[in-house]
Amino acid sequence: MIKEFIESVGQYCLFLKMVFRKPEKWKIFWRQFLAESEKLILSSVLLVCVISLFIGGVLVIQIASNIENPFIDRMNVGYMLREILILEFCSTIVALILAGKMGSNISSEIGSMRITDQIDAMDMMGVNSAGFLALPKIVSATLLSPLLMLLSLAFGLLGGWVVVSLTGIIGTNQYIEGIKYCYTGFYVFYSGFKMSLFCFLISSIASFRGYYASGGSLGVGTASTKAIVTISILILLFDLVVTQLMLY
Amino acid sequence: MIRIEHLYKSFAGAQILKDITIEYSPGKCNMVIGASGSGKTVLLKTLIGLYEPDSGSIWYGDEDLAAMTYDQKKKLRQRIGMLFQASALFDFATVLENIMFPMDFCTDWSKAQKIERARFCLDRVNVKGADGKYPSELSGGMQKRVGIARAIALNPEFLFCDEPNSGLDPYTSSLIDELISEITKEYNMTTVINTHDMNSIRSIGDNIGFICDGMLLWQGSRDSLDSTSCPQLRKFLRIR
Repeated sequence: MIKEFIESVGQYCLFLKMVFRKPEKWKIFWRQFLAESEKLILSSVLLVCVISLFIGGVLVIQIASNIENPFIDRMNVGYMLREILILEFCSTIVALILAGKMGSNISSEIGSMRITDQIDAMDMMGVNSAGFLALPKIVSATLLSPLLMLLSLAFGLLGGWVVVSLTGIIGTNQYIEGIKYCYTGFYVFYSGFKMSLFCFLISSIASFRGYYASGGSLGVGTASTKAIVTISILILLFDLVVTQLMLY
Repeated sequence: MIRIEHLYKSFAGAQILKDITIEYSPGKCNMVIGASGSGKTVLLKTLIGLYEPDSGSIWYGDEDLAAMTYDQKKKLRQRIGMLFQASALFDFATVLENIMFPMDFCTDWSKAQKIERARFCLDRVNVKGADGKYPSELSGGMQKRVGIARAIALNPEFLFCDEPNSGLDPYTSSLIDELISEITKEYNMTTVINTHDMNSIRSIGDNIGFICDGMLLWQGSRDSLDSTSCPQLRKFLRIR
């Protein structure tokens, strides 16, 4: 098992070396980049917004119901919601959700191309297949994913505001005051950085697993499952490491 | 011309190709025949550099494949066309885009020139009115034709076909065979075809090599097939 792990890490590094070769034609790279941005990022917007909206609302109710001490200002509900969303939800939890959507999409797409010889056909034409298939996905996911994090934050706060407005659990002014209280800009950068890193892991590992898929459609399914399991564990591990390095 | 000398290839300790030495001439349909699992596809994929041989050498003209750098191999592959067993057309691209794909990467032609060349290749393989269709909308025979059109898009010197007739009815098979044979002669290409289809072998095979358990046991013309003394080939051909 350890040997297999070391081999996989080595193979992953060699894969990244192939991926990060200079693209044969920049024009084709940009065309692919735009297509992948639409497929990976734009198509995830609705999912991220809906989840964030509901989680924001739920968190407001949960936080408010746990603050019973009259000496704690009710505006802390907004403050705590903002901190939870920025520090953990909008990056780590959203990345875990995207690992399922983006990860399975990428690994099954590339895996299917592998088992139907489409990747061999590209190699045959003298095209760097790893670069052509994975680089636009990795660049697009890494560069544009912080936008999803910002969108998640906005919709999470909006969800909280909707609940506050509809239920009157706390005053709207208190909620907004809490959101603005003790704002630390660095936390947004930290969260955006995490999101970028996690989406790099999602896109690169899913591409890697798909690229080396074998054994027919069953192999594609196995590659997809392996990719999502690996990505999920690595997201949690890197979350811990990055938090320790950047916040402590 | 392609020359293979003492080629060996194994996977996880299992020897797939054993001491293959053969030469393929231009303008001829060079056929590799043998039962399923005999090593034909491994030979083809090793020939085009998708697999690294354990030992032995492969020469394209006077260029040794093993001595080539990454960039030299890329250049060589642009002189090679390949028709895969399952056509391997790109699902994400239309028929026209599939044929333009190698041109996009390997030429500086304008879009109009690429479209013109792609249409010429489609006409050559008798595919009409399918420019905007996706591979999933085509029949097996049409996919093979488009695969051939893509393989000849860059006017290659070498053409490799891996079981071009698999999954096709006898009539379509013979049309594909004729097409490959015509193109080979027309462009003086060195064509290597993997097959176990006896009709193909007898109709277009100019130079035939029989592989059994990874070894090249017999080589000759289609006229000498029936008079072979090789017992394995006689068994394969069902000659008593």
